[in-house]
This record gives sequence, C-alpha cells and structure tokens, in this order.
Amino acid sequence: MVMSFFRKGESGLDLIAHRTITMLADARHSFDLASAAVLSGADPEDVGADIRETDDRINQAEQELRGDLVTHVAVHGSFEIGSVLSYTLLIKKIERIGDQAKNILDLADEGVSLAGHADTDEMLKIRRQISKMMTEAAELLSSENMEQAADFRDRCDSLRFELETTIREFMHSEQPGSFAVPRAILYRYWKRIVANLAGVVASATEPIQHQDYLDAGETDISDD
Amino acid sequence: MSSTRREMPTIVRAVLVVALIYIFLVGVSSLEGGIKVMGEDTQERLFSSVSNPLAGLFIGILGTVLVQSSSASTSVIVGLVATGALGVDDAVPMVMGANIGTTVTNTLVSLGHVRQSQEFKRAFAAATVHDFFNVMAVAILLPVELVTGVLSSAAEKISEQLVGSAGSEWKSPIKQWVKEPVSWIQDGLDGLGASGNFLGTLMVVAGLMLVLLALTFITKNMRRLVADRIERSLNKVLGSGGGLVAMLLGLIITISVQSSSITTSILIPLAAAGVVTLRNIYPVTLGANVGTTITALLAALAASTPEALTVGLVHTIFNVSGILLLYPAKPIRNVPIRLAEGLAALAVDRRAYAVAYVFGAFIIIPVLGVAILR
Repeated sequence: MVMSFFRKGESGLDLIAHRTITMLADARHSFDLASAAVLSGADPEDVGADIRETDDRINQAEQELRGDLVTHVAVHGSFEIGSVLSYTLLIKKIERIGDQAKNILDLADEGVSLAGHADTDEMLKIRRQISKMMTEAAELLSSENMEQAADFRDRCDSLRFELETTIREFMHSEQPGSFAVPRAILYRYWKRIVANLAGVVASATEPIQHQDYLDAGETDISDD
Repeated sequence: MSSTRREMPTIVRAVLVVALIYIFLVGVSSLEGGIKVMGEDTQERLFSSVSNPLAGLFIGILGTVLVQSSSASTSVIVGLVATGALGVDDAVPMVMGANIGTTVTNTLVSLGHVRQSQEFKRAFAAATVHDFFNVMAVAILLPVELVTGVLSSAAEKISEQLVGSAGSEWKSPIKQWVKEPVSWIQDGLDGLGASGNFLGTLMVVAGLMLVLLALTFITKNMRRLVADRIERSLNKVLGSGGGLVAMLLGLIITISVQSSSITTSILIPLAAAGVVTLRNIYPVTLGANVGTTITALLAALAASTPEALTVGLVHTIFNVSGILLLYPAKPIRNVPIRLAEGLAALAVDRRAYAVAYVFGAFIIIPVLGVAILR
C-alpha cells in the first residue's frame, strides 16, 4: 500500500474527476433500472437489489471523495479551492440523482406500473432522453467543452420547463388520482434529475458562486 | 475545473533540489569552518553553557522553535560537533530537544481551527499526540543515555564502521566537493577586512543562512515534486488504517520533503475535518520523527569528523528506540493518545489553555530552563 508513493499514477483532481464520472455511470444504471420497473414492467424485486447496491456504491464514493478532497487541500494548499468546492457540490448532485432513481423504484415498489398505457411511449422517450443526457454530462465532465456545456444546460432548461408544464397539467387534470398522481410524481423526480444534471455540468464549467443559479445569481434553480 | 497553475518542469525542479542540497552542504561546511576560525577560548565560552544536559535539551527546544525545523537545528548541531568545539555528549540532549521543539509547528497549525470546537478538539489532539510522544521518549531515554551512554555508544559503533573512529579526520568526498565555495566565502569575507573571531562569526552567520534558506527551498520544491504522490498514498494508507504501514508512509514522506513539520502539519486539517482519526495519525507522526533524521545524516557527510555522523546517528537511534519502547505495547502506546485527548478536551473548554500550553511548553519553560541551568 505504501508503495503507491513510488508508483506513477493518477492522483489529485484528475483521479477525483474520474471517480465522479464513475459515480455518474452508476447513477445512470440505477435510473435506467428504476425507470424500467415503472415503465417497462420489470419486476421491482428483481431490479431493487441491484439499485440499492449501486446506491450504496454511490454513497460510499461520495464519502470517500469528500475525504479525498480534504486531503487534496491539505497537501496542495488552497490554490484549487474553487475546484474542490465545486466537486463537493458536484458529487452531492450525483448522489441526489442516485437517490431520485431509488425514489422512482419506490413508486414501482408501491405497485405503480405505467407500462402499456397510451402515454407510455412518450414517457419512455423522455426516459431515454434523460439517460442519454447522463452520458453526455459524464463526457462534459471530462472534456470541459464550454460551448457544449452551455448547449447542454440550455437543453436541460427546456426539458425542465416541459416537465414542469406537464406536472402542472396533471395537477389540474380531470383524470382520477390513480392516473395523475403517479405521473406527476414521476415527472417531478425526472425534473429534479434533469436539474441536478444541469448542476453537474455547471459545476465543471461555471464559477462556484453562480452554480445552481441563473441570470447572474437572480434565479435559484436548485429548489424549484 | 482543471488547474491553471503553471508548474516548473519536474526535471528543472529536480535539478534545483540537487543544487539546493549542495548549497545546504556548503552552509554546514561554512558553519564548521567559521567555528574553527574562532579561537579556542571563544569556542569554550560559546559552548560551556550546554555542558548541563537539561540546559542542552532546552537549547535544542528553543533553537528548533526559532527556526521551526528540527532538520535545520540538528544539521547545525552536527556542524558544531564537526568542529570539535561541541562534544557528542553535549550534543545528544540538544538533538533530543530538537525533537520536542519541532512539534510546535503542527501545534500552531492546529490553533488555526480554534473557532470550531469539535474541529479544534480533533486538530489539537492530533498535534499534541506528537508532543506527548516526544516528551515521553526524552523522559525515558535522556536519563538512560546520561547514565549508560547507550545511544551514543551504539551510534559511535556504527559511525566507526562507516567512517572511522572518533578523534580521527574523515576524508569525506562531499567535504571535498564543497571545500571550494567555502573557501570563496572565507576569502570574500577576508577581503572585506574581517579576521579572527569576527571572520568566524560572519562565516557562521553565512553558514546558518545558507542552511536555513537551502532547507526552506528544498522543502518547498520537494513538496511540489511529490505532492501528488503524498496525496495518493495518504488516501490509500490512512483510508485503510494505521500501524506500521502508516509509520512507513510518515517516514517516506518526511525523507522526501526533508521536514517532519510538513508531514505532521498536512495531517492536522485531515484530523480537524474528521477524515482521519487520531489513532491513524499517530503512527504517521512517529515515522516522521525517524524520517527527519535523514537531514542531519546528510549534513554529517559535509563534516570532517566521525563525531558529526555519530550525532546524526544518535538522532536516528533515539527516534527508533522511542518507537520500540512506546509503540508495540498497546497500554503504553495509548498513553500519548489519552494525554493528547485530555489536553484537547481542556483546550476546547478554555482556549486560553491551548495558548498557555504552546507558550509554556515551547518558550517559557525552555527559556527559564536555560536561564537557570546554564
């Protein structure tokens, strides 16, 4: 173990960045499985163990990364303190995505199944879109391409707006509660996941003080 | 989130470190040369005060607190022993004092957490565990050394095998390499009209400055060079527990950066944040104790007498013996931890105790000790 001192290898923020990407891949895995349980009729018991195990892995990674970030500051000093603070926000957002995937599984555990309904295809389309965005977010964490990041965040905002509109429609729907409520809850989780994904990318590209805010700090997007 | 810091190429930094080590050795040699230029009666007056071992111990503490580096103070002691003006017996308590004095740095770092009670409690305990261990080691090994001379005898035997017996002159190849710059310093000062004791004093001052400056920059550059390795290995080792592996890590980091203060001070914010426990930190600080002795051994390479190496080796043997005495048995191992936790609990209740402890242990007691015992 102590020989790691003499070996060449990745360390510092590069290593932390790679571990956050792994966390994001885990979060996507949980999201896909949980969504399948609600939308494609997968047995919640079958996927539940996998999702909980993945969530434990995400939580463990979050705790280890927090410690690693403190070590980074202790060893390197405060030069990269902005990045370190951004990473603490970023890993929390990824951990929240993992939790929200688990919340979606809770819907399935409660007996909610939206498979085979008239709007299932529409919901599956949104699920695929969000899942793809998770991969994109991971790529942006590595590339830190500012233009693509800005485009990604714009698309997140549009999708969040669409999801919010749909949630409002369900709130005023004439349909019975058993139809509207599970959908409103599912869309709400999706909306939070998309907001967290936008936050993940913002953490990599935006100054620390503007993260989770739009319009130069005027609009709070973290609690909507 | 990528870093934008412009780093000096590794090879350039490595060459710079080699050059700084050379300057450090020139400094040690200049110090030795300066003392030798002074008359014997001046040397006698300068070092008569340390013939009392406790006074020597307190001078070791004070000198190290002043330069915030036991590497620097022990290197100076080695340089003084090389002149023959300071005997090995007188130097041993000073070296032990240096071991205690060096712990002030991380204790001062821990005071930075004073505003957050729980953070401060953890940080202060992590810092003072090093103090208590070193004080206990001195409390046991100094009387033993004074009565039996066991540490210096062991060091002398090793030194004899390596460079020859005491009293002889050792033709150190390093000494030959640094001879020329030292003669430039002497000739330069001579050219300015300095002679006798004044010339000797100027050479000592120049030597001290070179030693301190070189060590400061060696530490700075080495820290940059190995920072990523330190970070990686700390995460791996401290995440999975303490023990011998952690001790070895403390040793390696300290040898790399040539400063136990750097190693132990890095640990304080980690302890404060609760990332590592006091029990995990403790062995790292012990490894740092041993690692820091490498600098005095390096300094001995630029000295011309085997006694200089003997003192360097006493420092190493003292620290290794301290670990062998106080670490293996769990009840004894826990004593410094309990004392540190107790003091931290007191310090959290009354912050003034922490400040009083730092001033009392590292300044007031040593100053009074020197004043009374010299």
